[in-house]
Amino acid sequence: MRSSLFILPLTAGVLAAQTPGTADTTRRAALPVLSVAVPPAGTLVAVTNATIITASHGTIEHGTIIIRNGKIAAVGKDLAVPAGAQVIDGTGKFVMPGIIDEHSHSSGEAINEGTRSVTAQVRMQDVLREDAIGLYRELAGGVTTLNILHGSANTIGGQNAVVKIRWGLPVDSMLFAGAPPGIKFALGENVRQTNGPQIPGRPQRYPRTRMGVEELLRESFTRAREYQAEWKAYDESKRSLKKGEAEPIPPRRDLQLDALVEVLEGKRLVHAHSYRSDEILMLLKVAKDFGFRIASLQHVLEGYKVADEIAAAGTGASTFADNWAYKLEAFDAVPFNAALMAERGVNVTINSDSDERARRLYQEAAKAMKYGGASEETAIRMITLNAATQLGIEKMTGSIDVGKDADLAIFNGHPFAPASRVEMTLIDGRVFFDRNKAPTLENLIEQLKHRPRANTTSEGAQ
Amino acid sequence: MRLTPVVRALTLAATLLLPAATSLSAQSDTWALTNARIQTVTKGVIDKGTILIRKGLIEAVGPNISLPADARVVDLAGKTVTPGLIDLTSSLGLPAPTPGGGGQGGGTPQSSGGPRGLEPERDVARELKVPSGDVKPLRDAGITAVLVAPSRGLFRGMSALVPLRDSVDDSEVIRSQVAMHIGYQGVPGDYPGTLLGVIAYQRQAFLDAQRQGLIQDRYRTNPRGIARPDNDPGLDALVPVVRGQKPAFFDANNENEIRRAVRLAREFNLKATIIGATEGFEALDALAGRPTVVSVNFPQPAQTTGWSYRLSQRRTPNDSAASARDAQKLIEGNAAALNKAGIRIALASGGTRPADFLGNVRKAIAAGLPPGVALEALTIRPAELAGAGDMLGSIEAGKIANLVVSNGDVLGDSARISTVFVDGIRYEVAPPAARPAGGAAAGPAAQLGGTWTMTLNSPQGPLELTMTVAQSGAAFSGSMTSQLGTSEISGGEIAGRTATWTTVIQVGGQTVTLNYRAEVDGNRMSGSADLGSFGSATFTAERKP
Repeated sequence: MRSSLFILPLTAGVLAAQTPGTADTTRRAALPVLSVAVPPAGTLVAVTNATIITASHGTIEHGTIIIRNGKIAAVGKDLAVPAGAQVIDGTGKFVMPGIIDEHSHSSGEAINEGTRSVTAQVRMQDVLREDAIGLYRELAGGVTTLNILHGSANTIGGQNAVVKIRWGLPVDSMLFAGAPPGIKFALGENVRQTNGPQIPGRPQRYPRTRMGVEELLRESFTRAREYQAEWKAYDESKRSLKKGEAEPIPPRRDLQLDALVEVLEGKRLVHAHSYRSDEILMLLKVAKDFGFRIASLQHVLEGYKVADEIAAAGTGASTFADNWAYKLEAFDAVPFNAALMAERGVNVTINSDSDERARRLYQEAAKAMKYGGASEETAIRMITLNAATQLGIEKMTGSIDVGKDADLAIFNGHPFAPASRVEMTLIDGRVFFDRNKAPTLENLIEQLKHRPRANTTSEGAQ
Repeated sequence: MRLTPVVRALTLAATLLLPAATSLSAQSDTWALTNARIQTVTKGVIDKGTILIRKGLIEAVGPNISLPADARVVDLAGKTVTPGLIDLTSSLGLPAPTPGGGGQGGGTPQSSGGPRGLEPERDVARELKVPSGDVKPLRDAGITAVLVAPSRGLFRGMSALVPLRDSVDDSEVIRSQVAMHIGYQGVPGDYPGTLLGVIAYQRQAFLDAQRQGLIQDRYRTNPRGIARPDNDPGLDALVPVVRGQKPAFFDANNENEIRRAVRLAREFNLKATIIGATEGFEALDALAGRPTVVSVNFPQPAQTTGWSYRLSQRRTPNDSAASARDAQKLIEGNAAALNKAGIRIALASGGTRPADFLGNVRKAIAAGLPPGVALEALTIRPAELAGAGDMLGSIEAGKIANLVVSNGDVLGDSARISTVFVDGIRYEVAPPAARPAGGAAAGPAAQLGGTWTMTLNSPQGPLELTMTVAQSGAAFSGSMTSQLGTSEISGGEIAGRTATWTTVIQVGGQTVTLNYRAEVDGNRMSGSADLGSFGSATFTAERKP
C-alpha cells in the first residue's frame, strides 16, 4: 500500500496545476484539493487566534497552530505567523484534533465474508470505494481518521483498514501510512448466527454456541502456531543447507494463517466485538494463553463489570455512548459505561459503528460528562487520543502536539455545546471540508439567488 | 435473409452427396473483390484495388491483381472493404450461468452442477454451441469474430476466439485457451461469497499456483525424494497465468474494480488486460502502459463511481441536467481519454445490443476518438490481444478472409454494411427495415406508466416488489420497492415491446446492480433480471388497475 503513495506524485503535479471547472476530462481537476496523499513540501498553514483543545495538554485560549509540510510545527500563544503562510483566522473558533472513529464500516463494498467463521485472509482495504457519501458527511462532522472494520459475522473476521478521509482521492491514497495492521474478532450472538432466520437448504455454520466460539479461537491459534513452526523449520533447513543439496520446497503460504501468526507475534492488533462480561473474560484468557494482547474490545457494553480485568490486560474499550437493548446480549448496558471504565484506568473510546452517528461523535463523547462525570479532557480523548492509542497511531495523530500530523477539526463553538458545528476539517494541514464551499442547502440557496437573469427567463419560457 | 435456409439446404445436400467433402468445401470458393476502396488498417488505404480470396484466406491484395479464371468476381465500385470487426466481450453460445446455492430442494451449492464461476480449467472451446440466430445480428453489425468467455465469476475459465459463421463447432475455433478470464462475482452460498472473499481467494490462488509451478518443475527435473505435485487441474491452469505466460483478462468496469485488478496484476506481475473499463477515464494512472479493452456499453451517469460528488461537482449544483449531460459526455469520451493518455485500446461491445454497437462506437468517435484509432481498436488491436494478430485484424495476404463491405467508411455516420465475409464465406446483410424512431420491433411502443406488482424468482427465493413508473416517450423513470428497500430506476428504455432498466440495491453491505429486461404485453410483463453477484432471476408483473 505504501508503494502506491509513491507512484501518485508523478501525475499529481500536472493535475494539481489545473484550475477547478476547466473542461479537462481528468477528474481530479475539479477538486480544490491536491491529488496526492501527502502535502507537497513547503506548504505552510497557520490557524490563528483560536481556542485550541489539544487533547494532550489542556486548552489554549487565543492560540496559534503553525503547520509545515502537513505536520504541526508549533502550537501556543503569541506565535509569529511565518511569511507566506496560508492563514485560517480562528477568531471565535474552537480547534480540536481530528476525530477518530474507532469503529466504522464506511465505504466498504462488502462488510462480512460470512460464508466461514474464520476469514482472517480477507482485507477491508481491498473493497473500499472512494465515492461513498458517508465519508464526506463524516468529514463534515470533523472526523479525519476511520478504523474500517470487517463485520461481526465471524469469530475471526477480516483485516481492518485504517484510513484518513482524503475525500476525492483514490482509495489507495486514503490508507493511513504507518498504521499497524489489525483484525476483527467477534463473540456472541452474531457469530452463533442464532438471531436471524435459518435459510432453508443452507447448512448451519459452526459454531452455534459460545462454547464453540472459544474452541474455534483456540483451534485457529493452535493451527497458527503449527504453521509458524513449519516456517521456522523451513527457514532453519535453508540456513543449514550444505553445498550441493537441493533447496527445500517452502511450505504453502496461507494468507489466513499469516494474519493469525502476526497476531501471535504482536504485529497485528485485535479489535474484538463483544458484549457480555463472561465472554470478555473468556477472550482475555484465550489471548493470554496464546501470548497476545487484545488491542480493543468493541461495543463492550458490560465492560463496566470487568473494567479492572480489561485495564490489567492493557486492552482498550470502544463503546457506544447510550445505545443498547437492540438484542438480548445488549440489555445489561448503562450509559455510565464509558466513564466508569475510564475511572478504573481503561483506555476508553466512543465509536459510531454507523455512518450517521459518525457525523456527531463529538456529541456522543459529551455524554460521558453527563453520565458518570468524566472531565472535559477525558471526554475529548475518547474520540481522539485514546482512539489513536487503540489503533497504534498515537505518535502520528490524535492530539494537537508538535510533530504530529495536522489533522484538525475547527468548530464555530465548543465541540460539546449542542448548537456547535464543524466549519472546517483539515488532514495533514490541507482543507478537505470547508462549510463555506460545501454544497449545503444554505449555499445552494445563495447560488440560486445569484443565478443570471437570462438563464432564469429561458427556463421559465419552457 | 430469405437466402439463408436455401444456402443451408444446399450445403446439407452437398454434404449428403459428397460424403468425402469436409466443411472446408463450403469455403473453398474463390472470390475477387474488385474496384473497392480497401482499408487495410496496417498498410494504409488502397483507393481502388482488388482482394483475392481463396480457401478462406486472403490470397492477394493490391491495386493491380490479375484475376484467376476460377474467381467469382464481385465489382465493389463505390464500396469500402474493411477487416472484419472483432469483439472481445462475448458469451455467445455458452449456457446461461446457473445461479446455484440456496434454491429449491435443499441442494447444497456444490450439487447444482453448473459452472459456479470458479473453474479456471474451464475451456469454453469444448462446450461451444452457437445458434445461428444469435450470430446473424452480430455479423450484420460487421462483427466477424468474438472472444467467448463466461460472463460471471472470479476464475471463469479460458476463452475461445470464434469466427461468426452460421454454424460453428469447436474444430473451427480460431484460437482456444486465449486468456484466463477473471472477475469479481462470488460463489453463491459458498466461500468466497463476497468481494472480500473473492479478492482474498484470488490472491491465495495465485500464491498456490506459484508453488504448484515450483513443485512441478522440481518434479519434472528429478522426481526422486519429492512428494508428487497435487493433481489439480484448476491450479494447473493458473500456473502459466501467474508466470505471466498466459494473459489474464480482468472484467473490470468501474474505477474501483479497475484499480483492484491493476493492484493484483502488479502484485503478481500478471500479463493483465482490463476488459470493460467503462470508467477508465477515472483511472488513467492505473491503466498507463496497459492495453485495455474498452466497452462501448455506456453506463448512465448515476451508475458511475463518484457521481454523487466528483461528476456532479463539474457544474454548480443547481444545474443538474447540464451536469448529467457533462457526465454523459465524459462517459462517452472514455475511449478518447484513454487514447489521449497513450493507452492502447481495443473497442468492444460490452454487451451492447448488436444493433446499437456501431452507433455507440460513433458516439465514442464524436467524443474525440480519432476514427483511424477506432478502426484499429476494432480490428488489429483486438486480434493482437487475442494472440491472433498474425491471423486476423487487417487486410493482408495470408490472413483469414474476414471482411466487411460497406457504403463509405464503416464507422462513418451514414455507413451501411452490405456484405460480410467470414472465413471467406459470403454473407449478405439485408437492409434494415424502416424502423420507427426509437424502437426496434414493429408495433406500437409499450406503455409502462403506472404501478406494477412484481414477483421476482431469485435464486434466494421469491421476492415481491412494487414498481412505480412514469414514462416519457421511449424513456421511463420511477422506483422499485421490496423488503430490501426502495431503489430508483435508472436507464429506463423502451424499444418496441421490450423494456430495459437498472436499479442499484444494498444487500448485506454489498452494492448490487440489477439489470432488468422485460417484454410488455398490455398490463402484464415478464422477463429476466441479472442480479449481479446473486445470479439471475425471472420475473412476472401485472399493472395495478
